[in-house]
Amino acid sequence: MIESLVQPGSTFAPDIDFVINLVGGLVFFWGGLTVAMFFWLLWRYRYREGVKALYVTGNEPELKRWINIPHYLIILCDLAIIGFAVQTWYKVKQDIPPVDDEIRVVGQQWAWTFQHTGPDGKMGTDDDIKTADVLHVEVDKTYQFTLESRDVLHSFSVPIFRLKQDVIPGREIQGWFHPTVAGAFDIQCAEMCGIGHGIMAARIIVETPEQHAAWLAGAK
Amino acid sequence: MSNVASRWSVGWAAPILGLAIFGIVGACRGTTIPASARSADAVTPERGEVLYSNYCAQCHKADGHGQESVGAPSIAGLPQWYVKTQLMNFRQGIRGAHFDDIEGLRMRPMSLSLPAQEDVDAVSLYVGTMRPVAPAPSVQGGDAGHGSQLFTTCQACHGTDGKGNEAMGAPPLTVQPDWYLVRQLGKFKNGVRGADPRDVKGATMRPMAQGLADEQAMKDVVGHVMTLR
Repeated sequence: MIESLVQPGSTFAPDIDFVINLVGGLVFFWGGLTVAMFFWLLWRYRYREGVKALYVTGNEPELKRWINIPHYLIILCDLAIIGFAVQTWYKVKQDIPPVDDEIRVVGQQWAWTFQHTGPDGKMGTDDDIKTADVLHVEVDKTYQFTLESRDVLHSFSVPIFRLKQDVIPGREIQGWFHPTVAGAFDIQCAEMCGIGHGIMAARIIVETPEQHAAWLAGAK
Repeated sequence: MSNVASRWSVGWAAPILGLAIFGIVGACRGTTIPASARSADAVTPERGEVLYSNYCAQCHKADGHGQESVGAPSIAGLPQWYVKTQLMNFRQGIRGAHFDDIEGLRMRPMSLSLPAQEDVDAVSLYVGTMRPVAPAPSVQGGDAGHGSQLFTTCQACHGTDGKGNEAMGAPPLTVQPDWYLVRQLGKFKNGVRGADPRDVKGATMRPMAQGLADEQAMKDVVGHVMTLR
């Protein structure tokens, strides 16, 4: 469902999509059933001339099971959601693959700036490449990112990666991603950060190895 | 039966009517600035004032006096041509797109939020009509005497009185706050501003700032500018 709206572009995107689809599907099913039941009851017990309304307490077993049975089934659904969510959490937050390269991401009102390692592949050296509004990465490589904020709370959101991580002033928050699709995609801020929050956008350019090498050569 | 039916129809109509009113009010709120005004006729100080209050006043304040706490300088008193040039520089990424330009990076998206070129023109026109101020000095330790010697380099473009020169693309300095001038000199010196190849005037300013040995020299020259008001 969601993958037809926003293309999955990282190794963990399909896992996150599965949990979102699972939650969405179950909510749609139970929500639809509840609404259908509600309207059916409205129709079934509509006003009829000469028929007095019947007061029910809800304690009668034959009525109470309309609540109890769906309740137990929904608890089973919840357990399934928790199981799959923990599995996905482990894959994204605990089972971190070996890192190929690093990126420093700095959020501020109202722009994203990026520090790339440069040709030597090491962060904090003279050949680092600093950019504003544009992040360059290579497809099929694992990147570890470090998030920093210069002022207030932000959230580093890359929809195609299914990545959204808060950026907190005073902290250096790390995470990772592994792009699987080349192209230019959106980066946005997903935490209200002031009047310019809605226009705090940037682009991530996921390049083939040749394109990335050409960019590295031209950037210095 | 007819009474029951009419009661039902009123019962359903009320929330639908409420939602309709809510939607209409919401739509009207979103059109504070007439979207149809996209012609040269729209370039008026009045329209510029509306745009200014929507987009600029939060940081630069309603009177254009700015606020140091968010790095927004006083812009009241700056000429229309300079405001427009800088807005266009921000919009095109000529200014405010450097990794270390914290205030510029904040200003750039705000300049881009002006929907059209006519809006830039109108805001520039309005800012040009704002009453100039002389912001109170906040930078300590500047030696205006030494600064007056250093200022001989600056006066070729900015004038001996620091009032600027449009033909040279040099803005007036006397209406700008001292903290902002010191900060901008530092940015020019370090290539945070004026390093973009498209920034012709910035490229002129950069070597001038590089001629100032250190931050003390910047404070000194700005100290002299403060005496020109």
